Amino acid sequence: MSNVLIVDDSSTMRKIISRSLRQAGLTIDEIFEAGDGIEGLNVLGNSKVNLILSDINMPNMDGLEFIKMVRANGNSVPIVMITTEGGEDILKEAMTSGASASIKKPFTPDQLQEKLGGLL
Amino acid sequence: MLNAAVTQSTHLQEKEMAGHVINATKEVFSTMVMMDLEDQYPLADPVSKFHCSVTSMVGLAGTYTGILSIHCPQSFALRITSNMLGMDVTEVGEDVNDALGEIANMLGGYVKQILSKGGLDINLSIPTVISGEEYTVNSTSDSDCIIIPFTNEADRFLVGLKLQKEC
Repeated sequence: MSNVLIVDDSSTMRKIISRSLRQAGLTIDEIFEAGDGIEGLNVLGNSKVNLILSDINMPNMDGLEFIKMVRANGNSVPIVMITTEGGEDILKEAMTSGASASIKKPFTPDQLQEKLGGLL
Repeated sequence: MLNAAVTQSTHLQEKEMAGHVINATKEVFSTMVMMDLEDQYPLADPVSKFHCSVTSMVGLAGTYTGILSIHCPQSFALRITSNMLGMDVTEVGEDVNDALGEIANMLGGYVKQILSKGGLDINLSIPTVISGEEYTVNSTSDSDCIIIPFTNEADRFLVGLKLQKEC
């Protein structure tokens, strides 16, 4: 069983991602939610997380800064960017900063399963 | 009508740009809202006054500036939100604002990709959502705007794209 952290400033997107993870048939124990990178770091400090799904555009601490902070803390948990920011340069920066993969919104549960199946 | 400088710079005629927005909107609604849409482009008559509606907007800034907007009746906004969340939403509030804002954000992301392949020279704003019994949306230059009507069952809504090329 695995724990997943969803970091997105949209509560609707967090609900959609959470529901899609269940529909994708992935083996997930607990889903944590955070509204920005700062909240995400707090969750990581208090809970065991096996996979992070993160937006890029967020207030307070965006997804790119969040990845850098996670890696700077020595945490090697897989991080998958879920974002409308499908631009190659931004995703390249995310991958260079330590992201494992990316999924572009909109997405289907099948696409989530395909991308995340090997990471959980 | 699409701004002439945008047409020249993107090598896209208004109909082609509208086609991209139509495809993006249909894909977002099909995938995230579980709704199939029909488009009714072009819009016969301009619309600026809205009754019992929700308007969601996301701004683009950089080599191009503009606004991507969605205007829909409150009843349809409730149906969209209910479908997206998989639960019955009966009041226009935070969930509706968040859902409509997210749709504008996704469509803004598509437009950004059409205009900028690298993605770094155009930024998207945080979405803004307006709702009310009666309001008017005006722009200083309506001539630079494409508006596309969509329908699902008996409901109809509009997606607008206003664009300008910056130096």
